[in-house]
Amino acid sequence: MTGAPVSLFIQCLVDSMFPEVGEAMVRVFDRLAVPLAYPEGQTCCGQPAYNSGYRREAAAAARHFIEVFAEAETIVCPSGSCVHMVRHHYPELFPGDPVMAERARAIGARTFEFSEYLVDVLRVTDVMAEYPGTVTYHDSCHLSRGLGIARQPRMLLENVRGLELIEMANSDTCCGFGGTFSINYPEISVAMVDEKITNILATGADAVVGCDISCLMNIGGRLSRRGEKVKVLHLAQVLAGVEGESK
Amino acid sequence: MDSQNAFLRNIRQSLGLSPDEERPKRLFPALFAKTDTTLILQGIKNRTAEQQDELVELLKTNARALSITTHIVRTYEEAAAVIIHLVRTKSPEFTPTKHIIHHDHPDLAALQLWKRFDREGEGVTVHTTFSPDRQLREKTIASFIGITAPDIGVADSATLVQFTATGCPRSTSLVPSIHIAFLKKENLVADLREAYALLRERARLDSYVFITGPSKTADIEAQMVHGAHGPREVHLLLFCLSVVAETPNEAPIPLVPLKEE
Amino acid sequence: MNNTNPPTYRSAAAAGIASPRLQKSLHGLQDRFGKGAMEIWATMDDREMRHRVKDSRMNTFAHLDIILAELAKNVRARGGQVHFAATAQEAIDYTLAVAKKNKVKRVVKGKSMTSAEINIDPALEGASIEVVETDLGEYIIQLAGDKPSHIIAPCIHLDRNQIGELFAEKLGIDYSNDPPTLTMAARSALREKMLGAEMGLTGCNLACAETGQISLVSNEGNIRMATTMPPVLVALMGMERVVATLDEHREALHLLTRGAALQKLSTYVSFLGGPANADDPDGPKEFHLVIIDNGRSKILADPEFREVLACIRCGACLNICPVYGKIGGHAYNSPYCGPIGAVVTPLLDGINKHADLCKGETLCGACKDICTVEIDLPRMLAALRHKLAYGSDRWNTRQHNPIEAYVYSLWKLLVSNSFLYRLSLRLGWLLQRPFVKKNKMISKMAGLADGWTADRDLPPLAGRTFTDLWKRKYAVGRPSASKAQKKGGS
Repeated sequence: MTGAPVSLFIQCLVDSMFPEVGEAMVRVFDRLAVPLAYPEGQTCCGQPAYNSGYRREAAAAARHFIEVFAEAETIVCPSGSCVHMVRHHYPELFPGDPVMAERARAIGARTFEFSEYLVDVLRVTDVMAEYPGTVTYHDSCHLSRGLGIARQPRMLLENVRGLELIEMANSDTCCGFGGTFSINYPEISVAMVDEKITNILATGADAVVGCDISCLMNIGGRLSRRGEKVKVLHLAQVLAGVEGESK
Repeated sequence: MDSQNAFLRNIRQSLGLSPDEERPKRLFPALFAKTDTTLILQGIKNRTAEQQDELVELLKTNARALSITTHIVRTYEEAAAVIIHLVRTKSPEFTPTKHIIHHDHPDLAALQLWKRFDREGEGVTVHTTFSPDRQLREKTIASFIGITAPDIGVADSATLVQFTATGCPRSTSLVPSIHIAFLKKENLVADLREAYALLRERARLDSYVFITGPSKTADIEAQMVHGAHGPREVHLLLFCLSVVAETPNEAPIPLVPLKEE
Repeated sequence: MNNTNPPTYRSAAAAGIASPRLQKSLHGLQDRFGKGAMEIWATMDDREMRHRVKDSRMNTFAHLDIILAELAKNVRARGGQVHFAATAQEAIDYTLAVAKKNKVKRVVKGKSMTSAEINIDPALEGASIEVVETDLGEYIIQLAGDKPSHIIAPCIHLDRNQIGELFAEKLGIDYSNDPPTLTMAARSALREKMLGAEMGLTGCNLACAETGQISLVSNEGNIRMATTMPPVLVALMGMERVVATLDEHREALHLLTRGAALQKLSTYVSFLGGPANADDPDGPKEFHLVIIDNGRSKILADPEFREVLACIRCGACLNICPVYGKIGGHAYNSPYCGPIGAVVTPLLDGINKHADLCKGETLCGACKDICTVEIDLPRMLAALRHKLAYGSDRWNTRQHNPIEAYVYSLWKLLVSNSFLYRLSLRLGWLLQRPFVKKNKMISKMAGLADGWTADRDLPPLAGRTFTDLWKRKYAVGRPSASKAQKKGGS
């Protein structure tokens, strides 16, 4: 494929804690011959500050993001919630600054979540991946409700050779992460993730797959503490044909 | 009125308006504009016999799901027979003796219930909610069956719309343990949209109630129990006069009860 | 709302989570009613109705002075009395004066959250008036000296055995845990109360300005009893609970009963316009409508929050919220619980006082999806947090957590400067080393982060970030980002 390169927007948690997810994404795009670029100045989209009410600080992060990605024609991110932040909240962050507000709107329009970009933009539903095993899919909130993306990841998964998708009950119920919520209200957060885990285990799947590493970190962190064997994988890892690098 | 002025002043202030400038309703005609219900009313009026029969079937189905017992009756005699049977077979809940009470309504008068029990000497006392009756409350409380003739039936939700009027007090369909409703087929409409269109014609009514099935509660472990406070049984006598079916072009206008059989 | 020291949101939430009984009820409730409402919205023929009702609600608020004046005029034309109460106290004083004038000894209540909001019961009881809740769930709560935990199903946190014991003790009946038996016991006891009360006290689901009526929705019939049998009726109405026309009433009602209980219609919808007269032979002799502000005009004045007034109290958001579904209603410490309570309680009763309600959700968005009138509750939760972050004069709110604010100001420096950001990641990687266990997880951390590690493991920061790996492994052979993008070539 030719055209302007895709600029990778690697969520801060992927960059710092789950770099293998970013690598998996690179592998998928390389396989599809999609040219890539990586603006190295990127930091965090500002979502933690925004969700905690610190809009001035979130605006600073947004301003940085908008500068770093100023020249990018297409931005793709392996995180639904970060794309939701950029697309839906950036434009709110610059009241009284129409120029920045417009730039925010514009950058939101060219920022895509990974599965959304593959299916809706590239029109690819089969990335020639292989994954032997059963998986279940967790719909993260900002991806499914915020961006309306639920069909795309499933289409991609269904075309993975050897993979069997078993739907869990209430796949779109929140896992209880909620950013700082998970630290400030751990009892509630853990009760919620336990219910999610009950539904995951009930499928008997080998792995739970999602498109938001923050949810997966929450689910994985609780699975690890409970000593469960279910693997936790980002969609990109499955599509890269790479198995189980989750820690 | 002072409290009202200060209150509304504060609302105008909250809306960013000049607090002291009252906004007269006439300057905002769109606020109270009525949607055109002509077509809806025509639709009700011009319903064919087949369409009415479909509504009857729909009503029966929906009523069943709500634990309303529907009895199709074709004559006042049949209607009276159903009521007599219910009075005989059901037991009073709060009193030792059998009292029943019915609205002062031509269709219910036509059943001549007071005669039927007197004649058979069963110890059943029949009351009518005549308007000036000062003992209305006591009679209603004493009655285990209340009989009314709702003004509108709604097939889609199995709802009875009961107007409150002279001779038709609120409590008759509420306080007795069993509510028997006598509804004429021609007063049946398809859905609430139609019912509201008719209600608008009666906007001057002080009070009316939509009744959809027997009283119920699910407050204890979400288990449905009938008879929380209102009637625990609702029986619907659906009056399908055969004459009506034979003269579809002269379908009576709803809300006006037939004068005679 | 009450002034005794309530348990904190966190501790009450933990108590709810620890109750298997509550968990079972909440699960059953959400599985049925939350899913059911979503199913109804998904299959409704008239897809625009929710949007239309929301628009009509907002339009009503923009003209609320006109519509309330019309309502009052039309109620008075029917012989009803209308009182406008700016505060809870004014509403209480008025109601109490009506009760005293009529020598009321017993008040029977129809389920009304407004009455709980203004906390009228103690005032009535203080005047030696017996106050009896008549909704079965509210009656059980009252007998138990408890508080409601759901807008529609107030005693969802109690099971049949507890209710059986309660009735055996308070009503003197033989113990039974059979819901029909228990319901019939309450039916008898409450019938006496209702037939012998001098005053009915209800809320108002929706008033209709055009016709000058209030309308009340119930399944049990208690509200019909309370509005019909006692000689005096006082209806308490939040000032936003009004529609202009019958047309609007129909659509709002259509949504209300579906959102609340998946019903096409509740058993009873009563329309009441005034006191008894020749055409309304057995209505109450006196009809009083009390229209209450109590903080609502402040919400009305703020475009950021006005939308929350559109709520018609169907409770559907409780039936889907994953947080409510775990903690139950008591943790909210307010008559208004669940997602709607988390927004409306701070706005009515103090944002700082209820900071936990503003912050204690995940912003998952389920409440917005299910809301019968499409209220964007997550947006308003974020807006409330915004008030807490910096303080707000308009809302008389001070900065909630100066330490947190300081942390975010440091964070701002880092995310605005990629060099410092990278440096801090490196530093974090070094500092975390003593905490990383053999399984390559962190299972115990100090300070704030302990909230995470108490019951969950945390993956450590990676030795090489993706940025490091990109430079080292992937950037080779690719055009540098800025160059490539300028040229736009492959």
